[in-house]
Formats: sequence, C-alpha cells, structure tokens
Amino acid sequence: MPTPSKGPRLGGGPAHERLLLANLASQLFEHKRITTTVTKAKRLKPYAERLVTFAKRGDLASRRRVLGLISDKGIVHELFTDIAKQVENRPGGYTRITKIGNRKGDNAPMAVIELVLEPLSAKQAVVAEATKAAEKAAPVEEAAVEAPAEETAEVVEETVEAPAAEAAAEETEEKTAE
Amino acid sequence: MAVPKRKMSRSNTRSRRSQWKAAVPNLVKTVENGRVTYSLPHQAKVVTDSAGTELFLEYKGRKVADV
Repeated sequence: MPTPSKGPRLGGGPAHERLLLANLASQLFEHKRITTTVTKAKRLKPYAERLVTFAKRGDLASRRRVLGLISDKGIVHELFTDIAKQVENRPGGYTRITKIGNRKGDNAPMAVIELVLEPLSAKQAVVAEATKAAEKAAPVEEAAVEAPAEETAEVVEETVEAPAAEAAAEETEEKTAE
Repeated sequence: MAVPKRKMSRSNTRSRRSQWKAAVPNLVKTVENGRVTYSLPHQAKVVTDSAGTELFLEYKGRKVADV
C-alpha cells in the first residue's frame, strides 16, 4: 500500500488531484512512457504500480476497481492483457523515473516515467527461482520435524498405557482369586 | 495602491544587487573514454555525435528520451 502523501494536493484540490493522477496513469498505460514534472512523476509511481498489481490479479473485481479510477475501457483492457502479462514475473517496481533536467519555460524539473516491460535479467530470474525453491523446501522441513515428534508422543502414550493396563489386569486377577 | 515615495538611490540598488549570488552546482566527476567530464548527478545526459549534434538523452546506458 503506498504511503499517503503529505503536503498540498496536486492541482487545485483533492478532486483535481484524483483526476490528474487518473489521467496521468491512463496516459502512462497507453503510451508506456510519459514526460512530466518530477513531482507528478513521484506521485504517479505508487498509484500506477497499484493499478498494475490489480491487473496482475486479473479477476473481475479488480478490473471493476480499476475501471472506477480509469474510465477508458480500452486502456484498462490493454493494462489487464498486455501489460499484466509482460510484468508477470516482476516482483514490484513496475515503473522507472529518470530525471531529464529543467523545462525551458518555467525551469520546472522534468522527468520521464516509463513502465518497466523488459523481461527480468538472468540474475534476477535466478534469485527469484532460489527464493521460490527455499519457500517450497521450508514447509517440507517443518513437516519432517513435526512427524517424529508426534510419533514419539504416541509411543510415550502407549508405554504409559500398557503398564497401566497390565496393572489393572493383575488387580482384576487378584480380585477373582480372592 | 501603495507606491514608493522616493526614487531608490543607485547605491541602495547596487547594494541589494551585490547580494545576488549564483549557487555552485554539485557535479560528479567521471572519466569517459579517457576524458574527465563533470555532470549533474542522477540525471540523464545528452548523447552527441562526432559533429556535436544532439541525438538523445541517455541514463545508465538506456535511451530515455529524444532531445
């Protein structure tokens, strides 16, 4: 979950900010790379990545949540089909911001924000595979640890029960003898 | 509307303007092809051809944007 931003809203107010972010996100998903100010790019990054996470989940409920923010069905379709497939194996970090210097008119610092659509590098893929393997191995070990413990407990119970049963049997025998 | 009552003296104007100072930019020093270059940190650089024509912006070996 992105951290809520402090300070003044973008644009003129909360509603203006919502619209600005939604429009920036839809343009980003349409063109894959947009040039904007550094401030807007930084605010757009968590917003857009959250939408990509919804797209990766891909069910109807998440599609409706995204459609509540981005009204263009075509762009949402592209997000859920093309972009979601391209970032399938990427564990977050779906956007990249690069600063490109100040704008000529008002000297505002500008940046390019783009979707990271290239496949994971070989090293990243290996790391992802290793962590997955470790996760798989961990539950097996836990089960192995649990199983002997249960067995020993059962054995102990049996040993406890057996003398008790014998004693009971002896008592009954004694009683019958009397 | 409030307006100044008196003309500002040349001395006062120049005293004020003497406080205008340019800030020194923080640059990083790198060696590219055997030549030392200074550039702004964390910012895309312009790639030029041999004639000095600007081609595109590049950052960490990745083409970022057109000039």
